Amino acid sequence: MSSDLAVKTREPDPLPPEKAPFFSRPSGKIFLIWLAMTVVGVLIGFYAPHHLLPTMLSVEGRAVWATVVLLTVLAAPVAAFVYGVGFYSLVAWRQRGYGQSDEPPPDGPPLRGNSGLTILWLVVSGVLVVVMLVWGLAELASENATHPNSLQVDVTGQQWLWTFSYPGAGNLETRSLVLPDNRTIVFHVTSEDVTHGFWPVELGVQVDANPNVVTTIQATTNKLGAFTVRCSQLCGLYHSFMYASGAVVTPQAFAVWLHAHGASALTASDVARVSSSS
Amino acid sequence: MSEKPGRERKPKALGIILTFVAVAIGVAVVAILFHAQTYTSPVGTQVAKSVGTVTVNGQTLQHVTLAFNTYPDASGSVDGQAIHPGGNPSWPSYGPTNQFQVPAHALVTVTMRQYDSGGSLNNPWFATVRGTVGSVARINGRLVHAVNPNNVGHTFTVRGAPGTDPGFFVNVPLPAVPGNNQSDNGQYETVIFSFVSGSQGVYGWNCEYPCGTSVAGFGGPMSAFGYMSGFLHVV
Repeated sequence: MSSDLAVKTREPDPLPPEKAPFFSRPSGKIFLIWLAMTVVGVLIGFYAPHHLLPTMLSVEGRAVWATVVLLTVLAAPVAAFVYGVGFYSLVAWRQRGYGQSDEPPPDGPPLRGNSGLTILWLVVSGVLVVVMLVWGLAELASENATHPNSLQVDVTGQQWLWTFSYPGAGNLETRSLVLPDNRTIVFHVTSEDVTHGFWPVELGVQVDANPNVVTTIQATTNKLGAFTVRCSQLCGLYHSFMYASGAVVTPQAFAVWLHAHGASALTASDVARVSSSS
Repeated sequence: MSEKPGRERKPKALGIILTFVAVAIGVAVVAILFHAQTYTSPVGTQVAKSVGTVTVNGQTLQHVTLAFNTYPDASGSVDGQAIHPGGNPSWPSYGPTNQFQVPAHALVTVTMRQYDSGGSLNNPWFATVRGTVGSVARINGRLVHAVNPNNVGHTFTVRGAPGTDPGFFVNVPLPAVPGNNQSDNGQYETVIFSFVSGSQGVYGWNCEYPCGTSVAGFGGPMSAFGYMSGFLHVV
């Protein structure tokens, strides 16, 4: 190659000497980026659910909320580290003068194994996974616990409507799902045709509605309010229309609602038994 | 003198831009086709006919009427109007259209002729008249609250989409005409009912009798737009 075609290439910037101040070194700068991104991630973890999740009306819904917060907070420092190193590398260690030479970039310094870093990485990852596993198993166990005075509700999905039946109230069947507060509700879910997904959003539970199969899932209401039941499985032409309205009401209001919606065959004691949580 | 690499990259950049443009055009075409498929009917929209005002529960409402039928197959025509132009001739169908337009908060009186045979509903809950004035329908001149769930030809079942009246719901079961096959023998059941329309928006209606094919009778005409389903446009 003739000397006039030789293109000057920048040598990699020399790393600051070890005795340079920590925050002047790449590791220090990456640490600052990581710290800032972690703080942002943790703040997102605490505040984003207020905007992304609905107001939960059940114990299980609150557990979903708490799980979203926990996992986001746990993931924040990990994601911040990955993105922090990535962004810093892209900016500080990019190849300068790209396109000005046919010469390949110079090799970087050789990297050797780092036992301490490997152990730290494995331990931190292991702890995070174990925490998530224990948390998940505990939540799952609480959702499957049996409650003696639970309210049974039969849920039937059909293209493209939900219907709800109350076996303890003379099989009163309705299009809206009204539930008493402070009560464990056991949903027996099935389908008349194809697979649907029973998803009362604000109750924080979800299960498939399969034809010829009854699947059980439960939720314990703990807050008054309205909620929406949606279908979570793409079930056909009017899947997007397949929703129902619901509400968690006081036990007294629930008793009134039962009477008002045709539970005329019920005796007063029947209504009291179905609507009472004690 | 060698050419600058920057110039060599131009064709590559042009290719990327063209790819993005092609993808954007593709997405737009699919969206337009989807929208057209969703909200058009082979024979347009039937706009409800105004017939004056009426008092319902102490409220004076505009009174409008709609008239449509259900047929055992989509091949024929009624009064010179094709039931389902270009449709599958062997599928049962509503006709002459599946798109209806009514004013908001008006009394809508529907007159239907049900020409089809039928059978048992998957869910007997749909055998009850729901959401109409008085929760009744007039079938062949007789007021009824419900029909035999094992002798239903079709149902006219309307519900709102998210964003419309969440409580709006109309279900009218249409009794089957005698016969065990889906051939038009000329017999029909006359069904008349009235309901008060909800607020503005698009409401979906469909049949809840499994008159289709394949999965639980909900394939074919039950899963293809325009036969056993449609929209009620409340304006």
